[in-house]
Amino acid sequence: MNNSSTLIRNGSFLLFGVVFGFLLSRAGATDPALIASLLLFENLHLLWVIATAVGVGAVLNFLAKQLKWRSVASGQPISFPHKPFVRALIPGALLFGVGWGLTGVCPGTAPAMLGEGQWFVGVILIGIVAGTWLVGFIHHIQIKRQVQSRNMTAANR
Amino acid sequence: MTLSDFSWLTDSPIFSTALWPAWVAGGAIGALAFAQRWLTDQPLGCSAAFGNACARMGSRLPLFQGPAHSTATDWKLWFLVGIFLGGLLASLSTGTWAEPTHFGTLYTALMPHSDVGRVLWWLFGGVLIGMGSRLAGGCTSGHTINGVAMGSPASIVASAFFFAAAVGTAQLSHHLLNTFGG
Repeated sequence: MNNSSTLIRNGSFLLFGVVFGFLLSRAGATDPALIASLLLFENLHLLWVIATAVGVGAVLNFLAKQLKWRSVASGQPISFPHKPFVRALIPGALLFGVGWGLTGVCPGTAPAMLGEGQWFVGVILIGIVAGTWLVGFIHHIQIKRQVQSRNMTAANR
Repeated sequence: MTLSDFSWLTDSPIFSTALWPAWVAGGAIGALAFAQRWLTDQPLGCSAAFGNACARMGSRLPLFQGPAHSTATDWKLWFLVGIFLGGLLASLSTGTWAEPTHFGTLYTALMPHSDVGRVLWWLFGGVLIGMGSRLAGGCTSGHTINGVAMGSPASIVASAFFFAAAVGTAQLSHHLLNTFGG
């Protein structure tokens, strides 16, 4: 990829981000009190936000698949890559849910909350980077162990 | 041309209302996610960018060296920078900053009361969010808004467990606080 197309790409994602952050804020997703009232079933406003977002997305995705709409960037029919069933999917999802339930913050709303003036989210963002790094570190240790046990088996043979 | 020429826009409910009706905000988010897919052929997502952040800050761990976090995917980081600016725009256009100590009754009662305790609490929460989203391969954006909308089975399972754990955590905390008086 050359420099100008990288610039256009990064710039367009910056713009998508501005709109997404603005919408998350207007949706109330950046308000920890509203998240708490969703999780306690006191106010289902955010449930309807998520349900409408998924519903509108599902209809548009379905139309795009059926009618083979082409992506502007690739000129090819839009791709719909499913995320894989990784081994740590369920434990990971549970850890995420506990963190989300304890703070009312998720990785997408965190930068928007910081922009709105909720400075405490800066600490949570540092935590998210540390947690991400920790997964990379555990992954690294696992690989090292596997290599070691393979070498041991080879040496014993 | 001055800013007042745009008063029809800046005074409109789009900018002056802090909270939109759920279906308007949700519909706009769904449409934005699709627009991004159509224009760039890349699905919406937030948490993978934190892997790019690790790599850019100098981590040599193999998990962050693959194609998913290469410099060619640093648009993921620009997306997060945009989200920050979008939150800023939301506050500037309503004319008030978000109240930084407005956590709601549950979190105010649940969190430690000392500053040090709160910083540790937020760090701990952040670590759980970071570990969980990286292990599950996505967060509420990538799995729920993006993945469920295309009927991806792994994303439906992940989202179900996100919500189950979050609802369970909040409800359990609420009942424990009520029982022991916080």
